Amino acid sequence: MSAALPSPSFDRNEVRARFALDYVRDRHRRLIAGEEVIVHCHHYNSRIQRTVEGAAGIDGKAIFRTAARTAFLRQITAGFRDGDDETARWAVAEELFAELGYGSLDLADPASDTVHQSAGHFVEGWGVAFADQSKPVCTLAEGFIEAAFMAVRGESVEVRETHCMHCGASQCSFSIRRGVEAWTAPSRPARRESVSTSADAELADSNIDDNAIIQAVVGLPIRGGDDGLIPAFGVYLANTPADFYNQVAIEFVEAMSESGQRETACRLLSEAGESCAMNTFRGIMDSAEWEALVAPMLQEPADTLFALVALSNAFGWGNWRITEHEPGETLEIVSFNGYEALGFLESRGQATQAQCWMLQGVSAGMMALVYGEGSFSERFGTYLTEEHDCIAKGNTMCAFAVEES
Amino acid sequence: MTRRERVYSCIHADTYKYFLPREIVLDTWKRLESKYGRAVTSPGFGVVEIRTPALLLRSTRMLNPITVIRRRACSTEGVASLHQLLRFEVNDHPLPRTHP
Repeated sequence: MSAALPSPSFDRNEVRARFALDYVRDRHRRLIAGEEVIVHCHHYNSRIQRTVEGAAGIDGKAIFRTAARTAFLRQITAGFRDGDDETARWAVAEELFAELGYGSLDLADPASDTVHQSAGHFVEGWGVAFADQSKPVCTLAEGFIEAAFMAVRGESVEVRETHCMHCGASQCSFSIRRGVEAWTAPSRPARRESVSTSADAELADSNIDDNAIIQAVVGLPIRGGDDGLIPAFGVYLANTPADFYNQVAIEFVEAMSESGQRETACRLLSEAGESCAMNTFRGIMDSAEWEALVAPMLQEPADTLFALVALSNAFGWGNWRITEHEPGETLEIVSFNGYEALGFLESRGQATQAQCWMLQGVSAGMMALVYGEGSFSERFGTYLTEEHDCIAKGNTMCAFAVEES
Repeated sequence: MTRRERVYSCIHADTYKYFLPREIVLDTWKRLESKYGRAVTSPGFGVVEIRTPALLLRSTRMLNPITVIRRRACSTEGVASLHQLLRFEVNDHPLPRTHP
Protein backbone atom coordinates (compact mmCIF):
# COMPACT_ATOMS: atom_id res chain seq x y z
CA MET A 1 0.00 0.00 0.00
CA SER A 2 1.21 3.47 -0.76
CA ALA A 3 0.56 6.51 1.29
CA ALA A 4 -2.58 8.45 0.59
CA LEU A 5 -2.39 11.54 -1.53
CA PRO A 6 -1.67 14.79 0.30
CA SER A 7 -4.47 16.60 2.01
CA PRO A 8 -6.63 18.40 -0.49
CA SER A 9 -5.88 22.07 -0.95
CA PHE A 10 -9.02 22.75 -2.90
CA ASP A 11 -12.55 23.69 -2.02
CA ARG A 12 -14.97 20.79 -2.26
CA ASN A 13 -17.86 23.21 -2.64
CA GLU A 14 -16.12 24.61 -5.68
CA VAL A 15 -15.80 21.09 -7.05
CA ARG A 16 -19.50 20.45 -6.41
CA ALA A 17 -20.32 23.69 -8.23
CA ARG A 18 -18.87 22.18 -11.37
CA PHE A 19 -21.83 19.82 -11.35
CA ALA A 20 -24.55 22.45 -11.11
CA LEU A 21 -27.80 21.45 -12.78
CA ASP A 22 -28.68 22.96 -16.13
CA TYR A 23 -32.39 22.39 -16.75
CA VAL A 24 -33.44 22.87 -20.38
CA ARG A 25 -37.03 23.96 -19.92
CA ASP A 26 -38.38 23.63 -23.44
CA ARG A 27 -37.17 20.04 -23.71
CA HIS A 28 -37.39 19.02 -20.05
CA ARG A 29 -33.79 17.89 -19.98
CA ARG A 30 -31.50 17.88 -16.96
CA LEU A 31 -27.82 18.34 -17.77
CA ILE A 32 -24.97 17.79 -15.33
CA ALA A 33 -21.41 18.20 -16.59
CA GLY A 34 -22.64 17.96 -20.14
CA GLU A 35 -24.52 14.69 -19.69
CA GLU A 36 -28.27 14.33 -19.84
CA VAL A 37 -29.28 12.81 -16.54
CA ILE A 38 -32.52 11.14 -15.63
CA VAL A 39 -33.89 11.21 -12.10
CA HIS A 40 -35.07 7.77 -11.03
CA CYS A 41 -35.41 6.34 -7.56
CA HIS A 42 -34.03 3.32 -5.77
CA HIS A 43 -37.07 1.25 -6.74
CA TYR A 44 -36.46 1.53 -10.48
CA ASN A 45 -32.69 1.42 -10.35
CA SER A 46 -32.53 -1.72 -8.26
CA ARG A 47 -35.20 -3.39 -10.36
CA ILE A 48 -33.59 -2.62 -13.70
CA GLN A 49 -30.32 -3.92 -12.28
CA ARG A 50 -31.93 -7.13 -11.06
CA THR A 51 -33.63 -7.59 -14.42
CA VAL A 52 -30.36 -7.35 -16.34
CA GLU A 53 -28.08 -9.11 -13.89
CA GLY A 54 -30.59 -11.82 -13.07
CA ALA A 55 -31.18 -13.00 -16.62
CA ALA A 56 -29.80 -16.46 -17.30
CA GLY A 57 -27.34 -17.05 -20.11
CA ILE A 58 -25.96 -13.52 -20.36
CA ASP A 59 -23.36 -11.56 -18.40
CA GLY A 60 -25.68 -8.89 -17.08
CA LYS A 61 -23.14 -7.58 -14.60
CA ALA A 62 -20.72 -6.86 -17.43
CA ILE A 63 -23.42 -4.98 -19.31
CA PHE A 64 -24.23 -2.87 -16.25
CA ARG A 65 -20.60 -2.23 -15.34
CA THR A 66 -19.46 -1.38 -18.86
CA ALA A 67 -22.35 1.00 -19.41
CA ALA A 68 -21.44 2.77 -16.18
CA ARG A 69 -17.77 3.20 -16.97
CA THR A 70 -18.56 4.45 -20.48
CA ALA A 71 -21.04 7.09 -19.34
CA PHE A 72 -19.12 8.20 -16.27
CA LEU A 73 -15.75 8.47 -18.00
CA ARG A 74 -17.17 11.35 -20.03
CA GLN A 75 -18.89 12.95 -17.07
CA ILE A 76 -15.91 12.74 -14.71
CA THR A 77 -13.60 14.13 -17.37
CA ALA A 78 -16.01 16.99 -18.01
CA GLY A 79 -15.61 17.95 -14.35
CA PHE A 80 -11.86 18.53 -14.65
CA ARG A 81 -10.49 22.03 -14.96
CA ASP A 82 -7.14 23.35 -16.15
CA GLY A 83 -4.75 23.35 -13.24
CA ASP A 84 -6.35 20.44 -11.39
CA ASP A 85 -3.66 18.21 -9.93
CA GLU A 86 -4.22 14.51 -9.38
CA THR A 87 -5.60 15.02 -5.89
CA ALA A 88 -8.16 17.43 -7.23
CA ARG A 89 -9.11 15.04 -10.00
CA TRP A 90 -9.80 12.22 -7.58
CA ALA A 91 -11.89 14.63 -5.57
CA VAL A 92 -13.85 15.51 -8.69
CA ALA A 93 -14.69 11.83 -9.16
CA GLU A 94 -15.65 11.41 -5.50
CA GLU A 95 -17.83 14.49 -5.51
CA LEU A 96 -19.55 13.58 -8.77
CA PHE A 97 -20.48 10.18 -7.34
CA ALA A 98 -21.96 11.88 -4.29
CA GLU A 99 -23.54 14.74 -6.21
CA LEU A 100 -25.44 12.32 -8.44
CA GLY A 101 -26.78 10.51 -5.39
CA TYR A 102 -24.96 7.19 -5.61
CA GLY A 103 -23.39 7.41 -2.18
CA SER A 104 -20.03 8.02 -0.62
CA LEU A 105 -16.84 6.66 -2.20
CA ASP A 106 -13.39 7.12 -0.70
CA LEU A 107 -10.89 7.61 -3.52
CA ALA A 108 -8.27 9.38 -1.41
CA ASP A 109 -5.80 6.50 -1.64
CA PRO A 110 -5.73 5.45 -5.29
CA ALA A 111 -2.47 3.56 -4.86
CA SER A 112 -4.25 1.13 -2.57
CA ASP A 113 -5.64 -2.17 -3.81
CA THR A 114 -9.00 -1.43 -2.23
CA VAL A 115 -11.60 1.32 -2.45
CA HIS A 116 -14.37 1.69 0.11
CA GLN A 117 -17.91 3.00 -0.02
CA SER A 118 -19.71 4.01 3.17
CA ALA A 119 -23.17 4.60 1.67
CA GLY A 120 -24.73 3.38 -1.56
CA HIS A 121 -27.88 4.11 -3.53
CA PHE A 122 -28.14 0.52 -4.71
CA VAL A 123 -27.51 -0.81 -1.21
CA GLU A 124 -30.56 1.10 -0.05
CA GLY A 125 -32.64 0.10 -3.06
CA TRP A 126 -31.97 -3.60 -2.77
CA GLY A 127 -32.42 -3.47 0.97
CA VAL A 128 -36.00 -2.28 0.58
CA ALA A 129 -36.99 -4.25 -2.48
CA PHE A 130 -35.38 -7.66 -2.29
CA ALA A 131 -34.83 -10.19 0.45
CA ASP A 132 -31.86 -11.91 -1.20
CA GLN A 133 -28.69 -10.66 0.52
CA SER A 134 -26.30 -13.19 -0.95
CA LYS A 135 -24.65 -11.06 -3.65
CA PRO A 136 -22.99 -7.66 -3.78
CA VAL A 137 -25.13 -5.11 -5.59
CA CYS A 138 -22.85 -2.14 -6.32
CA THR A 139 -22.06 -2.94 -9.95
CA LEU A 140 -22.59 0.66 -11.02
CA ALA A 141 -19.94 1.74 -8.51
CA GLU A 142 -17.54 -0.83 -10.01
CA GLY A 143 -17.96 0.80 -13.41
CA PHE A 144 -17.70 4.28 -11.90
CA ILE A 145 -14.40 3.47 -10.19
CA GLU A 146 -13.00 1.95 -13.39
CA ALA A 147 -13.99 5.16 -15.17
CA ALA A 148 -12.36 7.27 -12.46
CA PHE A 149 -9.01 5.48 -12.82
CA MET A 150 -9.16 5.98 -16.57
CA ALA A 151 -10.18 9.63 -16.29
CA VAL A 152 -7.62 10.58 -13.63
CA ARG A 153 -4.64 8.42 -14.58
CA GLY A 154 -5.44 6.95 -17.97
CA GLU A 155 -5.13 3.58 -16.26
CA SER A 156 -7.19 0.50 -17.06
CA VAL A 157 -8.14 -1.37 -13.90
CA GLU A 158 -10.62 -4.08 -13.10
CA VAL A 159 -12.84 -3.29 -10.12
CA ARG A 160 -14.90 -5.90 -8.30
CA GLU A 161 -16.93 -5.53 -5.14
CA THR A 162 -15.67 -7.95 -2.51
CA HIS A 163 -17.80 -6.88 0.45
CA CYS A 164 -21.18 -5.19 0.29
CA MET A 165 -23.30 -3.46 2.91
CA HIS A 166 -26.30 -5.15 1.34
CA CYS A 167 -24.81 -8.49 2.44
CA GLY A 168 -24.13 -7.23 5.96
CA ALA A 169 -20.68 -5.65 5.65
CA SER A 170 -20.06 -2.46 7.60
CA GLN A 171 -18.94 -0.81 4.37
CA CYS A 172 -18.64 -1.82 0.74
CA SER A 173 -15.15 -2.75 -0.48
CA PHE A 174 -13.88 -2.94 -4.02
CA SER A 175 -10.71 -4.68 -5.15
CA ILE A 176 -8.57 -2.89 -7.72
CA ARG A 177 -6.71 -5.15 -10.14
CA ARG A 178 -4.05 -3.48 -12.23
CA GLY A 179 -2.29 -4.63 -15.36
CA VAL A 180 -5.50 -5.70 -17.04
CA GLU A 181 -6.20 -5.44 -20.74
CA ALA A 182 -6.52 -1.81 -21.74
CA TRP A 183 -10.02 -0.60 -22.50
CA THR A 184 -11.19 2.44 -24.35
CA ALA A 185 -14.61 4.00 -24.31
CA PRO A 186 -16.32 4.40 -27.65
CA SER A 187 -16.85 7.99 -28.69
CA ARG A 188 -20.36 9.20 -28.18
CA PRO A 189 -22.59 9.34 -31.28
CA ALA A 190 -23.89 12.75 -32.25
CA ARG A 191 -26.73 13.87 -30.00
CA ARG A 192 -30.18 13.72 -31.61
CA GLU A 193 -33.19 15.74 -30.59
CA SER A 194 -36.78 15.25 -31.56
CA VAL A 195 -38.35 17.37 -34.27
CA SER A 196 -41.72 17.67 -32.55
CA THR A 197 -42.89 19.65 -29.54
CA SER A 198 -45.97 20.03 -27.38
CA ALA A 199 -47.34 22.40 -29.99
CA ASP A 200 -47.59 19.49 -32.44
CA ALA A 201 -50.19 17.58 -30.46
CA GLU A 202 -53.59 18.30 -29.00
CA LEU A 203 -53.09 17.89 -25.28
CA ALA A 204 -55.78 16.85 -22.85
CA ASP A 205 -56.92 19.29 -20.17
CA SER A 206 -56.63 18.79 -16.45
CA ASN A 207 -56.77 20.69 -13.18
CA ILE A 208 -53.04 20.37 -12.75
CA ASP A 209 -50.68 23.32 -12.97
CA ASP A 210 -47.81 21.58 -14.77
CA ASN A 211 -45.54 24.59 -14.58
CA ALA A 212 -45.92 24.96 -10.84
CA ILE A 213 -44.94 21.34 -10.31
CA ILE A 214 -42.05 21.49 -12.74
CA GLN A 215 -40.71 24.73 -11.27
CA ALA A 216 -40.91 23.33 -7.76
CA VAL A 217 -39.03 20.16 -8.71
CA VAL A 218 -36.41 22.01 -10.69
CA GLY A 219 -35.90 24.32 -7.74
CA LEU A 220 -35.19 21.42 -5.42
CA PRO A 221 -31.55 20.60 -4.77
CA ILE A 222 -31.67 17.00 -6.04
CA ARG A 223 -28.07 16.35 -5.06
CA GLY A 224 -26.36 14.07 -2.61
CA GLY A 225 -25.96 15.15 0.99
CA ASP A 226 -23.09 14.34 3.32
CA ASP A 227 -23.55 10.63 2.68
CA GLY A 228 -24.01 11.10 -1.06
CA LEU A 229 -27.63 9.99 -0.94
CA ILE A 230 -30.70 11.97 -2.00
CA PRO A 231 -33.71 11.31 0.18
CA ALA A 232 -36.61 13.20 -1.40
CA PHE A 233 -40.26 12.46 -2.13
CA GLY A 234 -40.02 9.61 0.38
CA VAL A 235 -37.56 7.71 -1.84
CA TYR A 236 -33.85 7.78 -2.61
CA LEU A 237 -33.29 9.58 -5.90
CA ALA A 238 -30.27 9.46 -8.18
CA ASN A 239 -29.25 11.40 -11.29
CA THR A 240 -28.20 8.82 -13.84
CA PRO A 241 -26.91 9.52 -17.34
CA ALA A 242 -29.50 8.72 -20.00
CA ASP A 243 -26.72 7.09 -22.00
CA PHE A 244 -26.20 4.62 -19.17
CA TYR A 245 -29.83 3.50 -19.18
CA ASN A 246 -29.84 3.32 -22.97
CA GLN A 247 -26.67 1.28 -23.25
CA VAL A 248 -27.91 -1.13 -20.57
CA ALA A 249 -31.28 -1.63 -22.26
CA ILE A 250 -29.97 -1.92 -25.80
CA GLU A 251 -27.17 -4.34 -24.93
CA PHE A 252 -29.48 -6.37 -22.71
CA VAL A 253 -31.98 -6.83 -25.54
CA GLU A 254 -29.20 -7.64 -28.00
CA ALA A 255 -27.62 -10.19 -25.66
CA MET A 256 -30.95 -11.85 -24.97
CA SER A 257 -31.77 -11.84 -28.69
CA GLU A 258 -28.73 -14.00 -29.37
CA SER A 259 -30.45 -16.80 -27.49
CA GLY A 260 -33.85 -16.16 -29.02
CA GLN A 261 -35.17 -14.27 -26.01
CA ARG A 262 -35.73 -10.83 -27.45
CA GLU A 263 -39.41 -10.67 -26.57
CA THR A 264 -38.66 -11.77 -23.01
CA ALA A 265 -36.02 -9.07 -22.68
CA CYS A 266 -38.36 -6.35 -23.89
CA ARG A 267 -41.13 -7.54 -21.59
CA LEU A 268 -38.78 -7.58 -18.61
CA LEU A 269 -37.63 -4.02 -19.28
CA SER A 270 -41.21 -2.89 -19.59
CA GLU A 271 -42.12 -4.66 -16.35
CA ALA A 272 -39.32 -2.80 -14.59
CA GLY A 273 -40.95 0.41 -15.80
CA GLU A 274 -44.36 -0.74 -14.62
CA SER A 275 -42.94 -1.61 -11.22
CA CYS A 276 -41.25 1.80 -11.19
CA ALA A 277 -44.55 3.55 -11.75
CA MET A 278 -46.32 1.70 -8.99
CA ASN A 279 -43.57 1.82 -6.39
CA THR A 280 -41.88 5.13 -7.18
CA PHE A 281 -45.07 7.04 -7.76
CA ARG A 282 -46.75 5.38 -4.79
CA GLY A 283 -43.89 6.60 -2.65
CA ILE A 284 -44.09 10.06 -4.17
CA MET A 285 -47.86 10.25 -3.67
CA ASP A 286 -47.34 9.53 0.03
CA SER A 287 -44.63 12.15 0.38
CA ALA A 288 -44.81 15.51 2.08
CA GLU A 289 -43.91 17.16 -1.23
CA TRP A 290 -47.00 15.70 -2.86
CA GLU A 291 -49.19 16.60 0.07
CA ALA A 292 -47.87 20.16 0.12
CA LEU A 293 -48.02 21.12 -3.54
CA VAL A 294 -49.86 18.57 -5.64
CA ALA A 295 -52.67 17.29 -3.46
CA PRO A 296 -54.40 20.70 -3.31
CA MET A 297 -54.65 20.66 -7.12
CA LEU A 298 -56.39 17.30 -7.31
CA GLN A 299 -60.09 17.43 -8.02
CA GLU A 300 -60.64 14.05 -9.68
CA PRO A 301 -58.64 10.82 -10.01
CA ALA A 302 -57.50 11.64 -13.52
CA ASP A 303 -55.63 14.68 -12.20
CA THR A 304 -53.23 12.33 -10.45
CA LEU A 305 -52.07 11.00 -13.82
CA PHE A 306 -51.41 14.49 -15.12
CA ALA A 307 -49.49 15.41 -12.00
CA LEU A 308 -47.32 12.29 -12.26
CA VAL A 309 -46.54 13.09 -15.89
CA ALA A 310 -45.56 16.64 -14.92
CA LEU A 311 -43.29 15.30 -12.21
CA SER A 312 -41.58 12.89 -14.58
CA ASN A 313 -41.00 15.68 -17.07
CA ALA A 314 -39.26 17.62 -14.33
CA PHE A 315 -37.20 14.52 -13.57
CA GLY A 316 -35.71 14.76 -17.06
CA TRP A 317 -37.57 11.91 -18.66
CA GLY A 318 -38.27 14.26 -21.55
CA ASN A 319 -41.37 15.97 -22.75
CA TRP A 320 -44.31 13.61 -22.64
CA ARG A 321 -47.95 14.57 -22.38
CA ILE A 322 -51.39 13.04 -22.09
CA THR A 323 -53.48 13.54 -25.22
CA GLU A 324 -56.60 11.53 -24.36
CA HIS A 325 -57.86 9.87 -21.24
CA GLU A 326 -60.96 7.93 -20.30
CA PRO A 327 -60.72 7.51 -16.54
CA GLY A 328 -60.13 3.92 -15.61
CA GLU A 329 -60.38 2.80 -19.22
CA THR A 330 -57.84 4.19 -21.64
CA LEU A 331 -54.90 6.53 -21.79
CA GLU A 332 -53.13 8.04 -24.79
CA ILE A 333 -49.74 9.60 -24.18
CA VAL A 334 -47.21 11.07 -26.57
CA SER A 335 -43.52 11.63 -25.97
CA PHE A 336 -41.71 14.25 -28.01
CA ASN A 337 -38.16 13.40 -27.00
CA GLY A 338 -38.06 10.23 -24.93
CA TYR A 339 -34.49 9.38 -24.06
CA GLU A 340 -34.92 5.71 -24.93
CA ALA A 341 -36.03 6.37 -28.50
CA LEU A 342 -33.43 9.05 -29.15
CA GLY A 343 -30.71 6.96 -27.56
CA PHE A 344 -31.49 4.01 -29.81
CA LEU A 345 -31.54 6.23 -32.86
CA GLU A 346 -28.19 7.72 -31.92
CA SER A 347 -26.38 4.45 -31.28
CA ARG A 348 -28.09 1.96 -33.59
CA GLY A 349 -29.87 3.98 -36.26
CA GLN A 350 -33.50 3.62 -37.28
CA ALA A 351 -35.35 0.75 -35.67
CA THR A 352 -38.05 -1.50 -37.05
CA GLN A 353 -39.80 -1.74 -33.67
CA ALA A 354 -40.65 0.67 -30.88
CA GLN A 355 -37.94 1.03 -28.23
CA CYS A 356 -39.38 2.88 -25.22
CA TRP A 357 -39.63 0.02 -22.76
CA MET A 358 -39.55 2.16 -19.66
CA LEU A 359 -42.26 4.55 -20.83
CA GLN A 360 -44.41 1.63 -22.00
CA GLY A 361 -44.24 0.08 -18.55
CA VAL A 362 -44.66 3.36 -16.71
CA SER A 363 -47.78 4.22 -18.75
CA ALA A 364 -49.44 0.95 -17.79
CA GLY A 365 -48.21 1.20 -14.22
CA MET A 366 -49.63 4.68 -13.73
CA MET A 367 -53.08 3.48 -14.79
CA ALA A 368 -52.82 0.48 -12.47
CA LEU A 369 -51.71 2.71 -9.63
CA VAL A 370 -54.45 5.30 -10.04
CA TYR A 371 -57.38 3.07 -10.98
CA GLY A 372 -56.38 -0.43 -9.91
CA GLU A 373 -57.53 -2.24 -6.81
CA GLY A 374 -55.85 -4.67 -4.50
CA SER A 375 -52.17 -5.22 -3.82
CA PHE A 376 -49.49 -4.19 -6.27
CA SER A 377 -49.05 -7.79 -7.35
CA GLU A 378 -52.76 -7.98 -8.08
CA ARG A 379 -52.64 -4.78 -10.11
CA PHE A 380 -49.53 -5.75 -12.04
CA GLY A 381 -50.35 -6.40 -15.68
CA THR A 382 -53.92 -5.18 -15.46
CA TYR A 383 -53.20 -2.55 -18.09
CA LEU A 384 -51.23 -3.01 -21.29
CA THR A 385 -49.44 -0.45 -23.41
CA GLU A 386 -48.90 -0.45 -27.13
CA GLU A 387 -46.32 1.99 -28.44
CA HIS A 388 -47.65 2.37 -31.95
CA ASP A 389 -45.37 5.21 -32.99
CA CYS A 390 -41.76 5.66 -31.94
CA ILE A 391 -39.14 8.22 -32.81
CA ALA A 392 -36.69 5.35 -33.12
CA LYS A 393 -38.79 4.03 -36.04
CA GLY A 394 -38.75 7.37 -37.78
CA ASN A 395 -41.98 8.81 -36.39
CA THR A 396 -41.96 12.42 -35.24
CA MET A 397 -43.07 11.45 -31.73
CA CYS A 398 -43.62 8.35 -29.66
CA ALA A 399 -47.25 7.47 -29.01
CA PHE A 400 -48.57 5.09 -26.37
CA ALA A 401 -52.06 3.61 -26.07
CA VAL A 402 -52.94 2.05 -22.73
CA GLU A 403 -55.99 -0.07 -22.05
CA GLU A 404 -57.15 -2.75 -19.67
CA SER A 405 -55.65 -6.11 -20.40
CA MET B 1 -53.15 10.46 21.64
CA THR B 2 -50.88 10.40 18.64
CA ARG B 3 -51.73 7.71 16.10
CA ARG B 4 -49.87 6.51 13.08
CA GLU B 5 -50.45 5.14 9.60
CA ARG B 6 -48.05 3.03 7.57
CA VAL B 7 -46.52 4.46 4.37
CA TYR B 8 -45.50 2.03 1.66
CA SER B 9 -42.96 2.20 -1.17
CA CYS B 10 -40.68 4.36 0.89
CA ILE B 11 -37.03 4.36 1.84
CA HIS B 12 -37.61 2.05 4.77
CA ALA B 13 -40.22 -0.63 5.29
CA ASP B 14 -41.11 0.79 8.71
CA THR B 15 -42.19 4.23 7.60
CA TYR B 16 -45.19 5.87 9.22
CA LYS B 17 -47.09 9.10 9.26
CA TYR B 18 -47.71 10.23 12.82
CA PHE B 19 -50.88 12.22 13.37
CA LEU B 20 -50.48 14.46 16.41
CA PRO B 21 -53.30 15.97 18.44
CA ARG B 22 -53.57 19.56 17.27
CA GLU B 23 -52.77 21.02 20.66
CA ILE B 24 -49.31 19.45 20.87
CA VAL B 25 -48.09 20.08 17.32
CA LEU B 26 -46.05 23.25 17.86
CA ASP B 27 -44.61 22.09 21.15
CA THR B 28 -43.66 18.77 19.60
CA TRP B 29 -41.74 20.45 16.78
CA LYS B 30 -39.89 22.57 19.33
CA ARG B 31 -38.87 19.44 21.17
CA LEU B 32 -37.89 17.70 17.92
CA GLU B 33 -35.69 20.65 16.93
CA SER B 34 -34.16 20.72 20.36
CA LYS B 35 -33.17 17.08 20.12
CA TYR B 36 -32.42 16.60 16.41
CA GLY B 37 -31.53 20.03 15.06
CA ARG B 38 -33.16 22.84 13.17
CA ALA B 39 -36.00 22.14 10.73
CA VAL B 40 -35.38 23.33 7.20
CA THR B 41 -38.10 24.31 4.73
CA SER B 42 -37.43 23.29 1.14
CA PRO B 43 -37.94 25.79 -1.66
CA GLY B 44 -40.89 25.30 -3.97
CA PHE B 45 -42.67 22.53 -2.16
CA GLY B 46 -42.42 24.04 1.31
CA VAL B 47 -41.64 20.74 2.96
CA VAL B 48 -40.47 21.13 6.55
CA GLU B 49 -37.77 18.63 7.36
CA ILE B 50 -35.35 17.64 10.08
CA ARG B 51 -32.64 15.39 8.72
CA THR B 52 -30.32 13.26 10.84
CA PRO B 53 -28.18 10.25 9.93
CA ALA B 54 -30.80 8.03 11.54
CA LEU B 55 -34.10 9.73 10.81
CA LEU B 56 -35.94 11.96 8.40
CA LEU B 57 -38.81 13.88 9.94
CA ARG B 58 -40.97 15.52 7.29
CA SER B 59 -44.18 17.47 7.04
CA THR B 60 -45.93 20.19 5.12
CA ARG B 61 -46.11 23.72 6.48
CA MET B 62 -49.11 22.52 8.48
CA LEU B 63 -46.56 20.55 10.55
CA ASN B 64 -48.95 17.63 10.95
CA PRO B 65 -48.85 14.72 10.22
CA ILE B 66 -45.14 14.02 10.51
CA THR B 67 -43.70 11.35 8.25
CA VAL B 68 -40.89 9.53 10.01
CA ILE B 69 -38.47 7.75 7.69
CA ARG B 70 -35.90 5.53 9.32
CA ARG B 71 -32.44 5.40 7.81
CA ARG B 72 -29.64 2.88 8.05
CA ALA B 73 -28.26 4.32 11.29
CA CYS B 74 -31.62 4.14 13.03
CA SER B 75 -31.77 2.01 16.18
CA THR B 76 -34.57 0.59 18.27
CA GLU B 77 -33.56 2.92 21.07
CA GLY B 78 -33.69 5.86 18.71
CA VAL B 79 -37.22 5.02 17.66
CA ALA B 80 -38.30 4.61 21.27
CA SER B 81 -36.85 8.01 22.10
CA LEU B 82 -38.65 9.58 19.15
CA HIS B 83 -41.92 8.00 20.18
CA GLN B 84 -41.59 9.65 23.57
CA LEU B 85 -41.23 13.03 21.92
CA LEU B 86 -44.21 12.35 19.67
CA ARG B 87 -46.20 11.05 22.63
CA PHE B 88 -46.85 7.88 20.77
CA GLU B 89 -47.28 4.48 22.37
CA VAL B 90 -46.67 1.35 20.37
CA ASN B 91 -49.78 -0.60 21.15
CA ASP B 92 -51.43 -0.26 17.81
CA HIS B 93 -51.61 -2.51 14.82
CA PRO B 94 -51.65 0.11 12.10
CA LEU B 95 -53.85 -0.68 9.18
CA PRO B 96 -52.35 0.06 5.81
CA ARG B 97 -53.93 3.03 4.10
CA THR B 98 -53.17 1.42 0.78
CA HIS B 99 -51.92 -1.97 -0.17
CA PRO B 100 -48.21 -2.47 -0.79
